[in-house]
Amino acid sequence: MLNAKIPAGPMEAKWADYKSHVKLVNPANKRKLEVIIVGTGLAGASAAAALAELGYKVKAFCFQDSARRAHSIAAQGGINAAKNYQNDGDSVFRLFYDTVKGGDYRAREGNVYRLAEVSASIIDQCVAQGVPFAREYGGLLSNRSFGGTQVQRTFYAAGQTGQQLLLGAYSALQRQVALGNVKLYSRHEMLDVVTVDGKARGIIARDLISGKLERHFGHAVLLCTGGYGNVFYLSTNAMGSNVTAAWKAHKRGAYFGNPCFTQIHPTCIPVSGDHQSKLTLMSESLRNDGRIWVPKKKDDNRKAVDIPEEERDYYLERRYPAFGNLVPRDVASRAAKERCDAGYGVGTSKMAVYLDYAEAIVRYGQIEASKKGLDHASEEEIIKWGKAVVAEKYGNLFDMYAKITGENPYEMPMRIYPAVHYTMGGLWVDYELMTTVPGLYALGEANFSDHGANRLGASALMQGLADGYFVIPYTVGNYLADEIHTKPIPLDHPAFVETEKAVQAQLDTLMNIKGEHSVDHFHKALGKIMWDKCGMARNEAGLKEAIVEIQALKAEFWKNVRIPGSQDEFNPELEKAGRVADFIELGELMCMDALQRRESCGGHFREESQEDGGEALRDDANFQFVAAWEYKGPSSFELHKEHLDFEIVKPTQRNYK
Amino acid sequence: MKWSQFFNTSIGKKLLVGATGLFLCSFVIVHLAGNFSLLKEDGGEAFNLYAAFMGHNPLIQFIAWGLKVVIVIHLVLALQLTFRNRAARPVKYAVRPGNQTSSWYSRQMAIMGSVLLIFIVIHLAQFWWRMHYGEMNVAMYDGKETGNLYEVVWFAFKESWIVALYVIGMIALSFHLIHGFKSACQTFGLNHKKYNGIINFIGVWLFGVLIPIGFAAIPVVIFIKQI
Amino acid sequence: MKLTLKIWRQQNTKDKGKFESYQVSDVSKDMSFLELFDVLNERLINEGKDPVAFDHDCREGICGACSMYINGRAHGPWDETTTCQLHMRAYNDGDTIVVEPWRAKAFPVIKDLTVDRSAFDRIIQAGGYISVNTGNAVDANAIPIDKFDADNAFAAAACIGCGACVAACKNSSAMLFTSAKVSQLALLPQGHPERKQRAMDMVAQMDKEGFGSCTNTGACEAECPKGISLTNIARLNREFIGAGLTSEG
Repeated sequence: MLNAKIPAGPMEAKWADYKSHVKLVNPANKRKLEVIIVGTGLAGASAAAALAELGYKVKAFCFQDSARRAHSIAAQGGINAAKNYQNDGDSVFRLFYDTVKGGDYRAREGNVYRLAEVSASIIDQCVAQGVPFAREYGGLLSNRSFGGTQVQRTFYAAGQTGQQLLLGAYSALQRQVALGNVKLYSRHEMLDVVTVDGKARGIIARDLISGKLERHFGHAVLLCTGGYGNVFYLSTNAMGSNVTAAWKAHKRGAYFGNPCFTQIHPTCIPVSGDHQSKLTLMSESLRNDGRIWVPKKKDDNRKAVDIPEEERDYYLERRYPAFGNLVPRDVASRAAKERCDAGYGVGTSKMAVYLDYAEAIVRYGQIEASKKGLDHASEEEIIKWGKAVVAEKYGNLFDMYAKITGENPYEMPMRIYPAVHYTMGGLWVDYELMTTVPGLYALGEANFSDHGANRLGASALMQGLADGYFVIPYTVGNYLADEIHTKPIPLDHPAFVETEKAVQAQLDTLMNIKGEHSVDHFHKALGKIMWDKCGMARNEAGLKEAIVEIQALKAEFWKNVRIPGSQDEFNPELEKAGRVADFIELGELMCMDALQRRESCGGHFREESQEDGGEALRDDANFQFVAAWEYKGPSSFELHKEHLDFEIVKPTQRNYK
Repeated sequence: MKWSQFFNTSIGKKLLVGATGLFLCSFVIVHLAGNFSLLKEDGGEAFNLYAAFMGHNPLIQFIAWGLKVVIVIHLVLALQLTFRNRAARPVKYAVRPGNQTSSWYSRQMAIMGSVLLIFIVIHLAQFWWRMHYGEMNVAMYDGKETGNLYEVVWFAFKESWIVALYVIGMIALSFHLIHGFKSACQTFGLNHKKYNGIINFIGVWLFGVLIPIGFAAIPVVIFIKQI
Repeated sequence: MKLTLKIWRQQNTKDKGKFESYQVSDVSKDMSFLELFDVLNERLINEGKDPVAFDHDCREGICGACSMYINGRAHGPWDETTTCQLHMRAYNDGDTIVVEPWRAKAFPVIKDLTVDRSAFDRIIQAGGYISVNTGNAVDANAIPIDKFDADNAFAAAACIGCGACVAACKNSSAMLFTSAKVSQLALLPQGHPERKQRAMDMVAQMDKEGFGSCTNTGACEAECPKGISLTNIARLNREFIGAGLTSEG
C-alpha cells in the first residue's frame, strides 16, 4: 500500500503543522549538501533559486540553450491565486474546492489544499521579482475570471503570463548563478538517475554539444522536467518537451502515477497538412466572447459567412445551456470531436469547428455606440467599433491566427480543434514531493499530484511555482537533515560507472542500428496510434489494439531507426531518438492505464462508461484511487493503488447543463 | 565607477562622441552665420572684419584650438568604436538587408565622417592656413589694416571643381548630421514621445537641410556671380 | 511550390563553413519555415546525409530559440514574427532563399544554423534581477504602480532573448536586449534599490562579451519579433549616465 504521508489533523492545519515540525538543516551543513535539479521551467528554476538562497549547493540542468527557454514560457492565460483582491468571495477553501472538483475527484485533497494555501505567496514573490502583471489605473493588480470559475482570481500579464513568471524565476536563478550558489548546465540532457543503496545520488547527463557523458553527484535529485504530451507527436508542447528524465527515473524504481490522464485543450489551430510539426494553442479566454458552431447539414461546403443563422448548430449552447461555450476543457473538446466524427466538421480536413466572433463584434460595437451616445449609428460603424474592441482584447491571438492560417479572423470565423496540451499524470510523489525512490523528487507537471483527472485553466503555473518556491524548500530539508553525514560519493563509485555504461550502451545501440526510417517517422506512427486509440475517447478494444501496435512499433524502432552523424558531436537526431524510444514505452503504459480505468473521469473518457446523453460517468466505487505503476521489465508493469479519501469535498457527478 | 572606467565603456565613449558632435553642431551654426557676410555686397568689408576678429580675439582663438581638439576626440573615439563594431562581426553576412531595416546614412556615419574630414582638411588648408601662415593682400577699413580673405575666397570659388567639392562636402555634412543629431540625443537618453518631433525637426530641417544648403549656397552664389 | 535553399553548413565552431544549395519541391504555402526544414531534413536523412542543425523549441514564437537569418533579414521578411511563425506563403514558386546563422563574435556558431547565445545569460547574471529571496516579499498590492509604467515595463519584459537584435545590428550590438531588461526593472519600484549597480554591471558585461556599440540605426527595433522599442535604449543610456556620474563605488 502506498503511503502519501499526508500529515494528520484538520485540512487547514496540515501544512502549517508540517512546517512547524519538519526537520531543519543548519546553514553550515547546507553548504555541504548538493542538490541536482533537472529542468529549468517554473518548477525547476524556482526550486533552484529557492534552494540556493537557503545555502544548498545546486546544480541545474536543461537541454535548451538557455534556462529561459523551458516550455513554461509558452503558457498564455494566467496564474490563479486565492488573494480575493476583488472582494468577490474567493478564499483558500474555494480555490481548493474548485481544483478538487475540476479534477473530477481524482486529486489528493491534502496536496490541493496546500497548493491553494501557498498560492497567494506566489503572487507576492513574483511581484517583488519585477514580474509585470497587468494593473488597473489605480496601480493595483488586475484579475480576470478564467476557465469558467465564478470568481476573478487569475493574475495575468497580457497573453504572456508564463513567459513573465518564468523570466522572474529565471532571473532569480541567474542571480544565484552569479553568486556562485548554482552551477548551470545548459544544453545538457539527463539520461539516467544514479542510485546508491536505493537512494538517488546523482545523474548521468550528456553534454549535447560535445556528446560526452558526464557523472554528477547530488545528495538529492529533483526532476522538474515537465509533461509528456509529445507522446502524441502533435501537441501544444515544445518540440523538445520529453519524458526521458521521468521515464528513466521510472525504470529506476519511481512509480508512474495516472499516466493516462492527459488534457486535450479545445481551442487550438487545426492541422493543415502532413508537414504539421506541432499545434498552436489559442488562449481559452477566446471562449469568453466567441461562439462555437458547426453547420447543421453534413458536409456543408459553403463558406461560413454564407451559412445562414438557422442552419448553424451552436452545439455547446444547445447541449449545455447553463455553461454554454464555457464548459470545462474536457467537455468542450469531446463535444467538438463528437460533431466532427459525426460528419459536421468544417475546413478542408473536416476536423475543425468554427469559433465565431461576428456576434461579439456587433455586441461590443453597440456598447461603443451607446458610450458615444449614438443611437442611430450605421451597421458599418458599429462593426468598425466592435472590431476595435475585439482587437484590443484579443488582438495578439487574432494576429497569431492570421499568421498561421493566412485567414482574417475579423472577417470569417476561426477554425479550431482540440489538441493535447497538458498531462496530469506523472511520477507518483508523496506529500513531500518525493517519488518512491528516496532522495528523488518530482515537481511541477512532471509529478502527478494536484490536478486529478483534469486541470483547471491557470493552475499549472500556480502548481509549478508552489512546488519550487514554497514546498520543496521545506520538504527536501526533511530528507537532507538525515544526510548531513553523507560525504559526496566519488564519481568512480561502481554505481556511477555502471549507470554510465548502461547509458553508453543504449547510445551505441541506437547509433549502430543504421536502419531505414528517421526518428520522426516512428514518432509520427506512435502519435497516430495514441491519438486514435488513447486520445479524447478510449475503449477496451482500441486500447488493446494500441498496446499490440505499440509493441510492434517498438520492435521496429529498435531494428530500423536511422540516426545520421556520430554521438561525439552536436546531434539533434540522436537526442530525438532517445526521447522517442522512451515515449514508445510510455505510450504502452498509458494504454494499459487507460485500459484498467474502466470509468470516465476528467480528461479520461472511456466510451463504455457514459450516461445516456453521452456525458462522462465516473465510477467512484471502483476507481477512487491513484494508479501508480511500478516498472518490472520491458512491457511489464505492476499496478499499485493509492486510495483517495475525500474528507471535505464529497464527490458528486459534474453537471454543466 | 571611476571616470576612467566610465569613459572606457561603449556607452561612455559614445557619450563623448555625442557631446563633441553636438558641440560641433553648435559651431556650424556660428560659422554659417559669419559666412553669410561673404554675400554682402560691400566689397568684403563685413567679412574681412569678421575674419579678423575671429583670427585675433584671444577667446575665439582659444575656442578655435578647442574646436580642433574636439574634432580629434570625436574622430579618434568614433574610429575606436567603429573598429570595435567591425570586430564584433568577424564573419559577414552573404545577404544584407539594404535599406529595409535602417536608412543608408545611419549606417554610413564613418564614411560621411571621413568625407567631411577630407573636406575639412582641404578647407582649412585653403583658407585658415592661408590666413594665418600664408600671404594675402591687405584691405583697409577705418584706417585699420586687415588681410583680404574675402578676395581669396572669391578667387577660390571661381573654380567649378572647388565649388563641386564644397557641395559634396555639404551633402556629406547633411546626412552626417541628420542621423548624428538625433543619434546624439538618443545617446544622451533624449527619446520622449513629446519631444521626438522637435528633435527630428531640428535634426532634419536645421542640420540636414538649412545649414548644409546655406553653406553650399555661398560657393555656388559666388561662382555664379563671377561667371 | 519549388524553392532553392542556400543554407550555411558548418560542422562545428572551428570549421570554416560554406553554403550548400538544396532544391525543395512540393512546398505547401501552409507550412511554417521550420516545417520546410523538417521536410528537407527528413529527405537528407533518407539520403544518408547530415541534416541541417538549427535551434527551435516552442514553435509558437515565445521561447526565443529559433534564429535564422533569411535573405538578409533576422527571422525573415515578416514584421514582429519569429522564424517559427514565418509561413511559406511569404514566398513564391521559384524563389531562392539564403539562410545564415546569427553572425556575431559573441554568438559563435555551434553547428550549421545553431549558435551559442550564452552571452545573454551572462548579461542577465551581471544584474538582470531583483535581489529578493523567496519568502521576503511584501503583499503584492502593497506598492501601487502607475499603470503606464507597468505597461511599459511589460512591453520591455516581452523580450524573448532570441538575439535578432544582435543579428540585425550592423555592429552586433546587444543594446536592445540589455536595455529591455534594465528598462523593465527601472520602471518598477521594486527594481529601484539596485538600479545604478545594475546598469553599470550589465553594460560592463555586455562590453566584455564582445558585442559592438549602438549607433542608433534602428535595425534592431525593426527586426525585433516582439517590437521592443528604441526608447528602452534611451532609458538604458539615462540609467547608465545617471549611475556613472553619481556612483561613488
